[in-house]
Amino acid sequence: MKRNWRNLTAAVLSVVLGCVLFYFGTDGFRAFTAESARTYKLLQNQPEFPNVTLEDSKGRVYPFSDFEGKYVMLTFIYTACSDICPKIETNLAEVYKQIPSKYLDKDIVFLSISFDPDRDDPATLEKYRSYFGSDGDTWRMARITKEEELNGLLNEFGVTVIPDGEGGFTHNAAFYLVGKDGSLKEVMDFTKISEAASSVTALLENEAEVVLK
Amino acid sequence: MKQPGFGVIILGLLILPPIKDYLESYMLLHMLVQLPLLILSGWLIGKITEHKSINFLGIWNTNGVPGIILFVFITMYWMLPRALDEAVTISYIEIFKFVSLPLAGFFLRDSWEKIQALGRGFIFLNYLSMFGLMAWLYIDSPIQICNNYLETQQKALGWGFLIITIGMVLYILQAVFTDHAEEAEA
Repeated sequence: MKRNWRNLTAAVLSVVLGCVLFYFGTDGFRAFTAESARTYKLLQNQPEFPNVTLEDSKGRVYPFSDFEGKYVMLTFIYTACSDICPKIETNLAEVYKQIPSKYLDKDIVFLSISFDPDRDDPATLEKYRSYFGSDGDTWRMARITKEEELNGLLNEFGVTVIPDGEGGFTHNAAFYLVGKDGSLKEVMDFTKISEAASSVTALLENEAEVVLK
Repeated sequence: MKQPGFGVIILGLLILPPIKDYLESYMLLHMLVQLPLLILSGWLIGKITEHKSINFLGIWNTNGVPGIILFVFITMYWMLPRALDEAVTISYIEIFKFVSLPLAGFFLRDSWEKIQALGRGFIFLNYLSMFGLMAWLYIDSPIQICNNYLETQQKALGWGFLIITIGMVLYILQAVFTDHAEEAEA
């Protein structure tokens, strides 16, 4: 009898330990892939967007802090990418079209950041921009020329970039929304266009109401 | 004491940085070579529990159920795509991998003979269906599930799982259709 008691305790303990392992291993059963864990952690921490120096398709050079007081809807891309980036940018173009134009520039700026500064010079970005209907002002495309700034940003946001051995990169993709205070507010699924557009519009409308009051 | 010695040697080799890095650079090798070898090393070391002097598991794991539960939980955890990713990027998860999987093998050895035939059948079929599911997930997934491994690697792993699943099905078939009368008598 004494033996069975120990065995039963051990069995119960094993189940508890197993559940604890899964609970902590998946952030409370929320994140089963590293990507969902990354998004969850970003939303919890709302990290400050590092003040990187951008060089856009028009050749203008300015710090990210120039966007202070505006929302920034951004994606990470590189122009030589043949599969996922055009998809991200096509979808971003859809979102861009669905945002009421009165908010553009004044309250929100769209930004596509290239993580391949060697190839994506202003001229390349300028050409790439035209494919997606970006005007270069309310939707800008830019590169980060300083390597340590770029790496710091990719690291902070958990954007994993792996060279695929054929001159390209693969990376985890999403829409990111940076708030007026410069901290990350939202990470959105880039395949859910109308969802992203409506949540951004709702945010902008809410804020407009607050200002009116 | 031959087997425990082999177990320690295998574990030591797997920890060696060049071998570790090589196995982890391919998703297929990581999941279907490194992880099973870690379990094997623990299983070999588990031979020491057969010595009467080590009575601990005999008392706490009398019917083998606690040990097999731990084994199932640990191996299921390592089937999460996230665990595989984090083992490459976060060092304490990597350490946990090298501790938990040999332990799982250790428990398996002590528990497998103790649990009833029905329990063994249940565990075997559980893994069969799980491997089948993993095969389907990795082959069919249109997106990259792990951040550190490319989609082509993911597909290769899926086919690896499929081969294992087929192997397990064939094993069951031969077990069903061969004559076990002699074994039963003995």
